[in-house]
Amino acid sequence: MQQTSLAFRRKKSIAVASTVFLFPALLVIAIFIIYPIIDSFATSAYDWNGITDKLFVGFGNWKEMFHDKVFWKAFGNNLIVMVLSICIQMPIGIALATWLDKVGRKGNVAKVIWFIPMLMSSVAIGYLFRYALDANTGFVTGLSQLFGGGRVDLLGNPGKVLLTCIFIISWQFTPFYMVYYLAGYSGLSEDVKEAAMIDGATERQYFWRVALPLLKPTIKSAVILSMVGSLKYFDLVYVLTKGGPSHASELMATYMYSMAFESHRNGYASTLACGMFILISLIAIVTMRLLNRKED
Amino acid sequence: MNRKAISAVLSGTMLLSLMAGSMTTVQAAGKTKLTLWHIQTGEMANVIQGSVDRFMEANPDYDVEVVQKQNDTFKTDVSLAAQAGTLPDIFITWGGQTMYDYADQGLIADLTEYMNKDNYKDQFVDAGIAQCTYKDKIWAAPVENISVAGIFYNKDVFDKYNLEEPKTLDDLEKICDTLVENGVAPFALANATKWTGSMFFQYLATRYGGLEPFADAAAGKGSFENDAFEFAGTKIQDWVDKGYFCDGFNGMDDDSGQARALFYTGSAAMDLMGSWFTMTIAGENKQFLDDGKLGFFPFPEIPDSKADQSLCLGTIGDNLYVVSNKCADKEAAFKVIQSLLDDEAVKERTDLAKIIPLKSFKTSDPVVQEVLDTISKAKGIQLWYDQYLPSEVAEVHKTTSQEIFGKTITPAEADKELQDAMTAYLSKKGTASTEAESAETEA
Repeated sequence: MQQTSLAFRRKKSIAVASTVFLFPALLVIAIFIIYPIIDSFATSAYDWNGITDKLFVGFGNWKEMFHDKVFWKAFGNNLIVMVLSICIQMPIGIALATWLDKVGRKGNVAKVIWFIPMLMSSVAIGYLFRYALDANTGFVTGLSQLFGGGRVDLLGNPGKVLLTCIFIISWQFTPFYMVYYLAGYSGLSEDVKEAAMIDGATERQYFWRVALPLLKPTIKSAVILSMVGSLKYFDLVYVLTKGGPSHASELMATYMYSMAFESHRNGYASTLACGMFILISLIAIVTMRLLNRKED
Repeated sequence: MNRKAISAVLSGTMLLSLMAGSMTTVQAAGKTKLTLWHIQTGEMANVIQGSVDRFMEANPDYDVEVVQKQNDTFKTDVSLAAQAGTLPDIFITWGGQTMYDYADQGLIADLTEYMNKDNYKDQFVDAGIAQCTYKDKIWAAPVENISVAGIFYNKDVFDKYNLEEPKTLDDLEKICDTLVENGVAPFALANATKWTGSMFFQYLATRYGGLEPFADAAAGKGSFENDAFEFAGTKIQDWVDKGYFCDGFNGMDDDSGQARALFYTGSAAMDLMGSWFTMTIAGENKQFLDDGKLGFFPFPEIPDSKADQSLCLGTIGDNLYVVSNKCADKEAAFKVIQSLLDDEAVKERTDLAKIIPLKSFKTSDPVVQEVLDTISKAKGIQLWYDQYLPSEVAEVHKTTSQEIFGKTITPAEADKELQDAMTAYLSKKGTASTEAESAETEA
């Protein structure tokens, strides 16, 4: 009798303590995350420029979004960024990490140099490449002219601008995945490698048959990270091109930003934000399901 | 139990005090506090602070706080402050639809009475007052700057190829052809910024059709699917084909000055820009000005056009200072605005190459004088489309104009897209105002 009541009291006091300790965090999350999301959905039913009265339009904004070519183009661009980011960044990241893991301390200098892009802010990288890719005075044009070619316009050309952005994004984020996989490698026990070597595995066999399967959980979370990151990507593209020219490098987030803070269509921008929220959540959930199923 | 209660109370108070901490402001005893938001930078911010300091010296009962805000996010800041009820007593607007919205929403005060007092408004250029007027009331004071667009050119380049300032569009095209033949880009253009290229569109349309096509289209009486806009778009694409603009223009941003670098070095000969360009150069490449390399001419004319060819594109006043309707002491707030143009300030502003919209304004700078001559000859001013139009339509204009330059769209398609946006906006506004009216009648 006394025991149960003691257990009960203990449970109760843990419940009270956890509530008290969690309360500040929950409050912050409620104010800064949950409330804005709900409010965005509410605002998406209005037409509103921030100054004049809100005009209720029901699902008008949602209908507009479904027919908005620019939004779907932006979504398509996001998907391209997502797929190419994964295809470019993951293999290079793994390759660099594998090499660094193999050479150990001797690779420290390379490790630091390769990590530098990750240390720069996206805005600085944006400006750096804006000048470097300048069609008249930039690095690429200079190189092309050195070999007798013409001027190269990468950021002003609707056909090339998105690929250029993806290249720069990859340049920025590959080091992150390099470090991520390096951490994954350090989680692998030395014994496994020794055992594989004693059993007569070559370096190549060790990598493909042992290390890579063991890195699977790391790869999985890296893919999810990269996916969500590319779907909501904003800063570098905004600094570099503002989504232009002609929406050629428009992403969902840059489009939403320009609707909210340049066109001052706050209601429609909220709709876009909600659309993004739904699309990204869906894609993330589906991918996580798929990845987890394969494991079974 | 007790201890728990105490800790709960303590953590509660801590939270409350955290939240309250940001809300308390200390009020100087017995002084009326006024707040002013402006978006000037560099030396100009000091000029404004100086004006306000002189005001406070003369009126010790007032404490004026000057806040320097960011240009690009300013409209958003104002709308956020309006919702939160924390609008500053004095702030700026660029006029056009945004100012009309402020007035219709009762956010800003009617300044007619103060502007008429001692005929204060007569000191300003008429076009400036016209820009501050809406529904026959004056809502703002045009303080900062007269900015009209015109073509600035590098005199060295013109001398080298024996070129003279063009009078007509044909002359201009001949000059451009000569420059292209010699491997010089006729125009430096950074069009990732969009409004830079849009000025070509606006000027061409204004030269072709005058003020009416735009005013009618914006008011819903006309349409953007009109000869004037079609002409502008077609001309631009023709010029793009002929290579009149520097390479990669749609990828360059005005803020990073890449296009200006071409202009300074003579790789590009001309730049269609607002008259603030002299100030930009003074800050960026003073040597260029000192060597007398900078020339200016108004946008060339179309001789056989019916439209008035003296029209200028730009703004008289640039930043119009308004007083919040919630301001407790509007008269004092207006006096603060007046202090921004007191004798001392006028002198300082002139030294900084500002073109003050006062009738009495004089300058010693030859390029500024040329700009002034152009303005004094102008029979009217076309306010920048992107300030005149409501933001959502303005953005469509800027984007379609960039697409015209990029040739990803035909001029007719661009005009249609713009007209669709305008129609959508007007019909929404129509519903809003009928709803408001019916609500009023119900009440």
